[in-house]
Amino acid sequence: MAVLAAASTLVCAAGTVSLVGHRAPDFALPAAVGSNVRLSEYRGQAVIISFWSSRCSVCAKQLTLLDRLYSTYRSSGLVVLAVSVDDEPLHAEEYARAHAASFALLLDTAKAVSRAYAIDSLPSTVLIDRGGIVRYWHGDDRADDRSYVTQIRALLDDVVAAP
Amino acid sequence: MNTPSPNHLPLLLSLVLAALLPLAASAAAPPPANAPAPDQAAVAPAAAPAADAAGTRALDQQIQDLKKDVIDLNRDLFVLEEELLFPANTQVAVFVSMDVGDFFALDSISLKIDNREVANYLYTPRQVGALIKGGVQRLYVGNLKAGGHELVALFNGKGPNERYYRRGANLKFEKGVGAKYLELKITDHARAQQPEFEIKDWE
Repeated sequence: MAVLAAASTLVCAAGTVSLVGHRAPDFALPAAVGSNVRLSEYRGQAVIISFWSSRCSVCAKQLTLLDRLYSTYRSSGLVVLAVSVDDEPLHAEEYARAHAASFALLLDTAKAVSRAYAIDSLPSTVLIDRGGIVRYWHGDDRADDRSYVTQIRALLDDVVAAP
Repeated sequence: MNTPSPNHLPLLLSLVLAALLPLAASAAAPPPANAPAPDQAAVAPAAAPAADAAGTRALDQQIQDLKKDVIDLNRDLFVLEEELLFPANTQVAVFVSMDVGDFFALDSISLKIDNREVANYLYTPRQVGALIKGGVQRLYVGNLKAGGHELVALFNGKGPNERYYRRGANLKFEKGVGAKYLELKITDHARAQQPEFEIKDWE
């Protein structure tokens, strides 16, 4: 069963992986707490988008790890956006209240953004460079892995790419 | 590779010095008669950088000209695309403008034409700030056949007491031969201490 789950994750994640090297689809989403957020307004900064759900047990761990990374690299221009795919925004809002994160928790109840990024497994984390290009994708909950730090530093060291 | 033993080092050093001495002598020797004078030799290298600089400037100018051509071409392609996708005889465009914004913090606008949703736009604080500063946003551009149509706009946002509410405005209009431009205006009504929402037809 675990092998099947892993295999299905690999197959389903092919869509998101195909976005690597392409411009990240722009979107605007309401936040669980605070104002609306539009991805294109963060052009010039490195952005991490993590898709999560309040019903996904490992997503909470991933968000906690991302919070640590955000605290470390925020001043260098890192932005983290957590996109909830919960059907009920109330669940995401309750989670937001229970787990104080320093980054924006966004609500994608219509799943439009999840479809645009071809998300089929949770958690999924997309790393976007300063020019708005998708550079890396992770389909795991191991944001404490060394690879994340290496990739984030690579994104932060990039100059803004020409449009 | 075998390293030389310490006993052979002085011999090696003397051999190296002997090899270097003729080179040092030739460097100290006066220049031959047919060699150019030092002043002329200094001028020749100075002329080469000047030629390089002129070449670089010309290349830079070419690059700038190319950039300008690309930008102009991009603009022309955009205009052509707009004319092909939205010809003037069927084009309808809806714009959004905002007044001071004391009584209403805009969150989103939903637009329906003939009971069909054509636009649903979320506004960030930065975009609202741009509208308040006098910016006008083209919310929607599409095609409509000539005749009567109805536009319904729903404005979502927060009032002065941070209460979230929704207001609507509608307009029945006639689409003629030329392009139709409609403006959604959000203004502050100071006397009533409330925002006003109107749809203006640019005739």
